[in-house]
Amino acid sequence: MLSNMESNSARNDPDEPRTALASADQARHRLTTGLRLPAGFHPALATAVAVQLGAAAWGIAAQTVTGLVVVLAGLVVFVAVVGILLHRFRRINGVRVDGLASQIALMAQSPASLVYLAALAAGTWAGFASQWWVAAATAVAGGAGCAFGTRTWWHAYRHDPAAHARGASPRVLGASAVLASLAFAALLLVG
Amino acid sequence: MEGLDPLIHAPTRLQLVTSLSAVSEAEFATMRSVLGVSDSVLSKHVSALVDAGYLHSRKGVHAGRRTTWIGLTDVGSKALRDHVVALRRLIDVLD
Repeated sequence: MLSNMESNSARNDPDEPRTALASADQARHRLTTGLRLPAGFHPALATAVAVQLGAAAWGIAAQTVTGLVVVLAGLVVFVAVVGILLHRFRRINGVRVDGLASQIALMAQSPASLVYLAALAAGTWAGFASQWWVAAATAVAGGAGCAFGTRTWWHAYRHDPAAHARGASPRVLGASAVLASLAFAALLLVG
Repeated sequence: MEGLDPLIHAPTRLQLVTSLSAVSEAEFATMRSVLGVSDSVLSKHVSALVDAGYLHSRKGVHAGRRTTWIGLTDVGSKALRDHVVALRRLIDVLD
């Protein structure tokens, strides 16, 4: 609890509140500048997104139960890679940043989500048209675009961490994964 | 000065809650290292702020050992914003 003496001192000396704010900002700066992404973060994310997009394009175009299984397998690969990356980030840094989890698991940043949706749409169209090289190219481009979006987000976070730290909690992400799995399981049963 | 929050006015507490505003949760040892304080000092500040509803804490595991994770609550986040506004207003008045 702040003593009266400290309160009175803060009210008289403009340097004291200025110093308090500067010290607090420096502490936050020390924390965030020490944060590191795990080695191979962006290539692993790009690959996981590309695999998921490629599996989705093939699976949706196949219009069979096998196709749905392939779509589900692509999602499982993506979720597993994201889970490992987030676990390694937490282990290396001793912090959890939900904004990062939202960014890579849900493509929460609008440019990244647009790139993802465009790649998914183009890949699915290519799959129906049996243009498999186009489907593969869009999957790779989508993965690279999402990884680039995450890189951009990371720079923005480092610049203004308080504005970017918040995001979907692990519970929300877990519930989303369970719901997606149940939806696909229902599709498999119906199919 | 209206708006100054005595619970987070102490320098270490202000540094703690400001640092936690940059993450969702941080491991106790990480914050101890960032703030450069002892276990007991940080523990006292964390306990007081948890009691006030400004922080939440939970037991967890980090690098294979049991540890404590702490994070800023919505109440703490609002208190920090209000306190920073009050400090800036105070600087303006005194300048």
